[in-house]
Parts: sequence; structure tokens; C-alpha cells
Amino acid sequence: MDKPLPLSGIRVLDFTHIVAGPQCTRILGDMGAQVIKVETEQALDSLRMSPIGIGGEAGPNRSGLFEYFNRNKLSVTINALHPSGLAIIKKLLAVSDIVIENFSSKVLERWGLSYDEQVAIKPDIIYASITGFGHNGRDREYSTWGPTAQALSGLTLMSGLPGERPAGWGYSFLDHTAGYNAAIAVLMALHHRNNTGEGQWVDLSQIETGMVLTGPQILDYTVNNNPYRRQGLPAGNHATHPKVAPHNTYQCKGIDKWCVITVPDNQHWGKFQNALSSESWVHNEKFQSNEQRIKHEAELDTLIEQWTINKTPHEVMHWLQSFGVAAGAVQTNADKVERDPQLRARDFFVEFLHRETEEYYETDQFPSKFTVTDSSVRQGSPPIGADTLEVLQTVLDLSTEEITSLYEEAAL
Amino acid sequence: MTKALEDLTVLEITDDKGMYAGKLLADMGATVILIEPPTGHAARHVGPFASNIPDLNSSLLFWYNNTNKKSTTVDIQTDTGASIVRDLVKSVDIVIESTPPGYLESLGLGYSQLSEINPKLIMTSITPFGQTGPYRNYEASNLVLMAMSGIMNSCGYDDLPGSPPISCDGLQGYATGCNLAVIATLTALYHRDINQEGQWIDCSIYEALSGTTEAAMPNWYFNKQTPFRQTGRHHGVVATPSTQYESGDGKLINGFDIPPRTVARWDALISWMDETGMAKELKDDSFRQMIRERSRDKDKIDIIVLRVREFIKSMPAEEAYHRAQQIRLAWAIIRSPEETLQDPHFAEDRQFFGEVHHPETQQSYKYPGAPYKFHKTPWSIDRRAPLLGEDTLQVLHDLLSFTPEDLVLLRESRVI
Repeated sequence: MDKPLPLSGIRVLDFTHIVAGPQCTRILGDMGAQVIKVETEQALDSLRMSPIGIGGEAGPNRSGLFEYFNRNKLSVTINALHPSGLAIIKKLLAVSDIVIENFSSKVLERWGLSYDEQVAIKPDIIYASITGFGHNGRDREYSTWGPTAQALSGLTLMSGLPGERPAGWGYSFLDHTAGYNAAIAVLMALHHRNNTGEGQWVDLSQIETGMVLTGPQILDYTVNNNPYRRQGLPAGNHATHPKVAPHNTYQCKGIDKWCVITVPDNQHWGKFQNALSSESWVHNEKFQSNEQRIKHEAELDTLIEQWTINKTPHEVMHWLQSFGVAAGAVQTNADKVERDPQLRARDFFVEFLHRETEEYYETDQFPSKFTVTDSSVRQGSPPIGADTLEVLQTVLDLSTEEITSLYEEAAL
Repeated sequence: MTKALEDLTVLEITDDKGMYAGKLLADMGATVILIEPPTGHAARHVGPFASNIPDLNSSLLFWYNNTNKKSTTVDIQTDTGASIVRDLVKSVDIVIESTPPGYLESLGLGYSQLSEINPKLIMTSITPFGQTGPYRNYEASNLVLMAMSGIMNSCGYDDLPGSPPISCDGLQGYATGCNLAVIATLTALYHRDINQEGQWIDCSIYEALSGTTEAAMPNWYFNKQTPFRQTGRHHGVVATPSTQYESGDGKLINGFDIPPRTVARWDALISWMDETGMAKELKDDSFRQMIRERSRDKDKIDIIVLRVREFIKSMPAEEAYHRAQQIRLAWAIIRSPEETLQDPHFAEDRQFFGEVHHPETQQSYKYPGAPYKFHKTPWSIDRRAPLLGEDTLQVLHDLLSFTPEDLVLLRESRVI
């Protein structure tokens, strides 16, 4: 028998778009919640327009980026600005457990769906709003994309080579992170609802979800008065705390091929020496304590790179790991999907049927294994409005005539 | 006010990989008992340290990640210590641990053993690669996981030839693993709320990070392409213009959305630039037409970037940031973490930072706040991270009815 999905029976009314909100509802959907994504043809989720096409062409129903974040969800098209459309949204809200949105802070209010108005419709509703800056405060109308939020939170500056401009993050890390924190928040709110019957509003600021990740750096300033903006920081891929060496990226054989090697203490230095026993320099007196290795870090890095440069990243990784040294290949998406035995062994990848092309593709699962419950990818992402009819019939018991008339008055 | 998780007791046996998961639960009201070896949790040995003086009770990494927890020293490698943990497990809801696969089992503390004592137990095991598979015993570090997961392949420089992929400072890989471990734990808690049934969760940080790379994975699944690194902005399969602009006061602006994607934002930008006569040829309608048609003329884009670069250079960073945001351009100052303390939106209006009192120094320090604002069940730091073993007496007395004499004996035999 299939294992149960933990959130089956939970209904989510999903007004999210782009990545941060959809990341949250993707997780809830994977866990079995029925996620009803409310969309309009007039203002498509911009992820539907991503250039990553499926089946050789791009388009709103063939966007790879949209697919990745919206599997398992149902798409209903409803025009919230039309009174009859808004009435349908309110009926759906009355039978939902959770409302999630990542519009700018005034949109739901403008529709007449502020938290207080939601409560009037569904007293125990759990409402999660995700914005760049949160729903209160002087800058609440400002907008963010991932790189904006990363820059303001301090995370961009913390990533880079010493003496160079920041490298930052090469994608919207904080879109994922805001989505993860929103999932944590609604699940905590569900537990509270289970205990007390009480719903609530959780207000997330994407920038704050990034500032939370700079805790030790903030404390170094508020306790010690050490600003992060100082000589030598960020330290590239060298270790900052604890300061250990070697701890870096090393170039390998091929174009833009890299591995990382980290040696935390003398015990592991011994293992590293065993792995490189043919290299006389590993026994050099000046590398025999962590303190000395840090002092001679540049020379040590050069010697290590002379050893890695003729090997592939995976050769370095497997060789060093066989001696108990923490080493890893800097892997690409292709390395992970096509060649990684660990992710395959754990069924990290799963096939699903793409709804528009009716072809099978792979994607990645929720990243944990459970002994009792399960997560699943039951179907691909919805073509725009593909589930309107079914949702209105099965969830709201509307008749075909009622639905036809809603279409005719352009409420759907 | 009621806290969302105040009915829960969590037993935590972690090192630096898993401690952030316990913090997320403790700050929302769970009682989190941190089991530490008598030599102290791994993070106690890692700086920065308060007043820059290394001490088991002064690690700021430990301070930040262990707020609200109760420290109980137990040497779980001794039979008596393991049996104390088994007794504690009778009265906890959740165990969070980040020891190597098979280690707790070898001490009689694996899920199969603990679930016999407490069938409703939720046990969350956080490991680098998971409990199974050929890499399960591979050695890891935060950097190794950032590399293997593909995150680093997307982060670095396109304007520094030959430069390596870059991993952000801090334990970002571990924190992300913990975010996903807490999500997994809370779904199991929901299942237990309804079905009275516990379970074991096997969390792989490697997998958590492998799914945290935005367009990289779908680019492979659907197009078999690998995006390349670009400084401070999205990885891509097509090169995009640099987004780092220097302001007049020598700071960096992340100038996202240049050229703007909508005509409205384009018009607003041009009229702002024209206030000081810096729009120059950008006022020519051919530029506006390119925006309207969403076409990309490389020569025109180069001119736009050049003029915007001159424009941002003509003003302080704060002005560039706020004026841009007021016309809905999502620009940002590239700030240092401590500079966020001075932002009145977060510091004053949102009250993001909180003061945490440390009785040892009789001082309060500002800490970052919560990643979410709950309107009914508060997040709060009620107590600073515990001193080593600070709560051993109270925990063993309250939960296991140990007497002070018992504790003296345990201490003498170095179990606690």
C-alpha cells in the first residue's frame, strides 16, 4: 500500500507567482495538500514566460522554470477584479485551510481580501504573505527580486574573493529561502490550529529571511564591534571560523573544472598525508600544525593545485574520500542528474507526465525520506486554467450553467 | 500569549550541521533540550568569540544558533549516559540529531530502539548525504556540500577570468539543510497530530541543497543546458549585463532591471535621469521602442548601461536606492550584514532586531529576529544560549526525578 501523504485533506488557495511563493506551495503540494493556483490570463505568472522551453518550444504551458515550481498544483483562472470572480474566490476561501500570496503589500487589500476580511469568510484561515520588505514599515511598497534581497540582507557582500567586488549568489537563493520559511511558518500555524482551533496571519519579508542567515556576523558587530566590512573578508573559499587550512577550491583537469578540499584538524591532515603519500611536500615541517598551515596557506594551496590540476574533480573526490578526507567535486546540474550514484540510489529523481506535451520528464523530489508518510510528484504543472471547470464543479458544486455564465461575463 | 510550539519537547543531539533546526523550534516555544558532551557542543569551539577570547561559553556561532535551548551534558558514549537519553526520550515529542549514519544505533539510541520506548516519537536525522547510498559515509563540510550540490557552480564571477566558483561565508549549506529538515519534521508533526503516529525522517543536506539552485535543474531536465556564473546576478545560458554599479560615495548598487522591462519604469527612469541632464541620447524614441517591443539591441543596451553607470556615480548610494525603489525599480545597496542595523524600515518600523540579555556580562546585545512575523503566536528569544551544562540539574530532576546526590555521582563518573 502507498504511504499516506501527510497534508492530504489540506486545501491551499495559492495566489503566488515567480519563485518565492511557488516554492512554498510546491512543498505543500508535494506533501499532499490540494493547491489551487488562482491565475489570470491578463497577468500571467512571469515564470510561465521563461525561455526554458519543454519539448523544444517555450510558451505559457511549456515553461521549464514554471514546471519546476508548480507541479501537483491545479490552475484555475479567475478575474479577481470582476465582482463575480471575486465572489468565486471568496467561496473557495471559505473552504480552504491556507491562503498564500506574494504580491506587493497592498494587492489583496485592494481586492477586499485583507486578513480581517478573510477571517470574516473563514474564521480559522491561515494566511501567509511573502513580500520583499513585509507588510508594515516605511519601505513596505518597495520591491525585490532575489538579487535585490540578497544585496540588502548582507548575503551578497559575504560571498566573494578578498579584495574583489562581491560575487554574491548566482541566482535567487532568497526566493528558495523565503519559500522554505513560509512553509515552516504555515506548518507551525497548522499545529497551533490543531491545538487551539485558531488561525492567524504570518507576514514574511524576504530580506528578513536573509538577515536571519547573517546571525554570527551581526553578533560579531553588536558584541565585539567587528564590522564585516573589513580587510580580508569575505575570504573566498578559505575558512573564516574556525580558521583551518587547507580549505579551498582547486582547479582540476579540463575547462572550468574545480574541486574543494577541507581539512579541519591534524587528525584529518594525517589522512590527507596518506592520500598524497607520493608527494614529498606533505611531510614538510611547515605544514605539520594547523597554525603553520594557515601561515603558509598560499604555498599550500599552490602545491595542492599542482596535484589536482591533472585529475578530474571526481577523481580527486573519490581518491581523497577513500582516505577519509572531506573533498567534493564542484558539480554541475548534469553531473547530478546524469552521473551521481548517491542521488540515484536515494531516488532523488522521479519521472512525471508533463500535462501539455504528454511526455515524461524527470524532476527532483522533496529532499527527505520518511518511514511512515511520503511526498510525491503526482502530476506536472497545470496549463493555464486547465482545472477551472473541475475545481468549480467538485470543490464548489457549481453547475455547468453557472460556470458558463461566469465565463460569459468574463469573471473566469 | 500562547506560543505555537509550547506543547512540544525536543531532544537535540547535534553538531554545527543541525543546531539551527533546534533554534527554529525553540524560538517558537518548543522546550529544546540540547544534549552536549561534557566537552561541549561542536559550535562552542568555533569563533568568533565574545571579546575575541575563546571560551566554551563565548562562541557567537553557538550563541546565535542555540537561543532558548536548555543545555544538558550527558556523555552518550557511556552506558549510563545512553540510558539517561533513553529515559528522557520517554517524555519528548521530537528528537533532532546530526550524528553520522549508524552512530546512535551503535549506542542503543537509533530510531528502532527509541521508537520502542516512545512509539509516537518523531526522529529527524540530519546528515550530509543521508542514511543510505554509496556516499553515506563520505566526509563532508559546509564547503563540500555547497560544491557537490551545484550551488557553487552557479556562484562566482564572469568578469574575473579563471576565478573559482564561490561559496558564501557562514554555514549557509547547513542552515538550508536545517530549513528543509524542519519542514519535514513539521509535516510529520501534522501527521502525528491527526493520526497519533510517529516516524523517522532521513534528511540529506546534499539533497536539500541540490534542489536549491533555481533555474539550474530545470535547465538540464528540459533543455540539457548548464547555466554559467555571472557576478552578483542570475546564472544564465545567455550573458546579461553587469548589475554592479558604483555610487558617488564609493558603495555598490545592485542595479537590477537595467534596462527596465516595462515602458512605465523606463519612462520613470529617463525622467529621473533627465532632472540632472544625464539621460542624454536615451531620450531618443528608438530606446523606448526597444523596451516596448521587448527586443534586445546589444549596442543600445551597452549605451543604457553606460549612461546609468554615470548616473549612479553622480549620487550617494542611499539616494540611488530610494529614488529607484520609488519608481518601482528593484535596486539595492550591497550592504554589509551590520549595515542592516541602521535601516529604519527594519530596525525601527519592523522591530526586526531584538535585545538579548546576557547576565554574565550584565549586558544586552542586539540579535537578528525572526524569519517570519506571526500575528498570534509570538517568536521570541526569552533566554540567551545556555552555558555548558547550565540546565543539567533541572532537566534531570524535572524529567527523571534525579536527586542532587545522583547528580554528584554522575558527575564524578564523568557521565554528565
